[in-house]
Amino acid sequence: MSNNMTPRDRVLAALARKKLDRPPAVCFTQIATIDAMEAVGVYWPDAHVDPHRMAELSAAPNKVWGVECARLPFCLTVEAEVMGCRVDLGKMDRTPMVKAHSCDENTIPDDIPIGALYKGRIPAVVEGVRIAKQKYSKELPIVAGTTGPLTIAGHMVGTENLLLWIITNPEAVHKALKVATKMEKAYVEALAKAGADVIVMSDPSAGTDMLSPEMFDEYAKPYIKECFSNPGDAKTVLHICGDTTVLLDHMVATGVSGLSIEEKVQPEKAVDIVNGRAALVGNIGVVRPLLQGTPEDVRLDALRVKNSGFNLVAPGCGLAARVPLVNLQAMVKAVKG
Amino acid sequence: MSDVLAQLAEVVVKGKIKEAKPLSEQALAQGIDAKDIIFNGLSKGMEVVGQKYEKKEYYLPQVLLSAQTMYASLDVVLPKLKVGSMGASGKVVICVVEGDVHDIGKNIVKAMLTGAGMTIFDLGRDVPIKNIIEKAKSEGVDIIATSTLMTPTLAGMKEIERMAKEGNMKPKVKTMIGGGATSKEFATQIGADAWGYDAIEAVKIASELIKNR
Repeated sequence: MSNNMTPRDRVLAALARKKLDRPPAVCFTQIATIDAMEAVGVYWPDAHVDPHRMAELSAAPNKVWGVECARLPFCLTVEAEVMGCRVDLGKMDRTPMVKAHSCDENTIPDDIPIGALYKGRIPAVVEGVRIAKQKYSKELPIVAGTTGPLTIAGHMVGTENLLLWIITNPEAVHKALKVATKMEKAYVEALAKAGADVIVMSDPSAGTDMLSPEMFDEYAKPYIKECFSNPGDAKTVLHICGDTTVLLDHMVATGVSGLSIEEKVQPEKAVDIVNGRAALVGNIGVVRPLLQGTPEDVRLDALRVKNSGFNLVAPGCGLAARVPLVNLQAMVKAVKG
Repeated sequence: MSDVLAQLAEVVVKGKIKEAKPLSEQALAQGIDAKDIIFNGLSKGMEVVGQKYEKKEYYLPQVLLSAQTMYASLDVVLPKLKVGSMGASGKVVICVVEGDVHDIGKNIVKAMLTGAGMTIFDLGRDVPIKNIIEKAKSEGVDIIATSTLMTPTLAGMKEIERMAKEGNMKPKVKTMIGGGATSKEFATQIGADAWGYDAIEAVKIASELIKNR
């Protein structure tokens, strides 16, 4: 494969685990920083609600630091909001957060709201993907970020409650997961139809800081599979935070094209365990080195990830808005050579 | 250790939440001192829970259930505690800093510190820095313990250090931080007295800070 590939070709080839002269440098998790916002004059929180601004900001990081994708939206609260959670959209440098849950043990809904795909910010994100597709997809892959079922369920009932009920009331956990899955599956289908090339589903609450691998198999895996059962032509990627070393096999078993993981996993070990069964995406630390380190720290970590055999080199988790531009540039430069 | 205290420890370890209240009442009825119940029953239980979590025999769901079980017992026992009898064990104000709502880790640390016999003032999550400082002053705490999982909110921890220094609270009041976005280097950089990787380490560190005060 040659150097003339567009970033889109390269990313799709990497996710198909094809041999390349180098991996693409991407960011499949939250991508926007203050520098990108300033470059296009589009800021949070406006970009969370306006599809045109959202699309414009999704591609700004490519202009500013050369990352090889467009990625939107910029939070993990879209689905939860439609399921009735109160969301604070944050500030220019602070991501949206779920402020209040929507139900308790006895009031978990049987179904998603009527017309769910037309509620909250879902129309804005779907339209944002459509606009990004038209404007940028000759060059860039359009990456849509979504929330995993366990994390949505946790937003609905409170993550601590959800975890506790795994022991005291598993039926309630499954009930919340079923409705969260129904929401997420419909959303994934809508994003794929709108033209997303890649759908990244982040399920931080399914990580090993929360659940044992056995619990993952019961409470995360079947639901993740269901959410991704009809992604159309889009490639699927599962992102889970924390040290996922013991979880990698279980993540592979969800059948996704790619696994996006954090720096708490040794990159060489991840490549060894996954052994070509899925594309690996990651895993440069977002706090260290990206937020608090120097460009040289970033360069060394990026090279280590690249040389370990990751299919796509990327930050291991969502970027904080104030990650220094020089560090992001150093990441891309190290990968592109 | 008496039978009922061993049973109570076991109830905490197994998370048998319904048995916590009757068993605690039974212990009090037998004339066992509230302080004894906490230190030789509940604390012993939470210590085992911590070990099981460390060995990955337990994950968060089991730890949360054990913590709830301990709290169910404390509801019965704490009102019977003689004022001042726990004073030597230290006072801690704990919370998640402003801008972040991820509080599970904080709640686990709170449970472990409670289990270790400390008096905890829990301000919850998304807490403005000046409220933390005010509470620390008004309660005369030994430790300010804060956490965050997010990166934008790290600045709040730096602000705590600044305000604690300006208020001449240091070195009498110690600060400790934790949570996914923090690191030992970051703690050193901002001047926090300690950093804990997880709840188990947090208990060890808090005990050290209080011992050395």
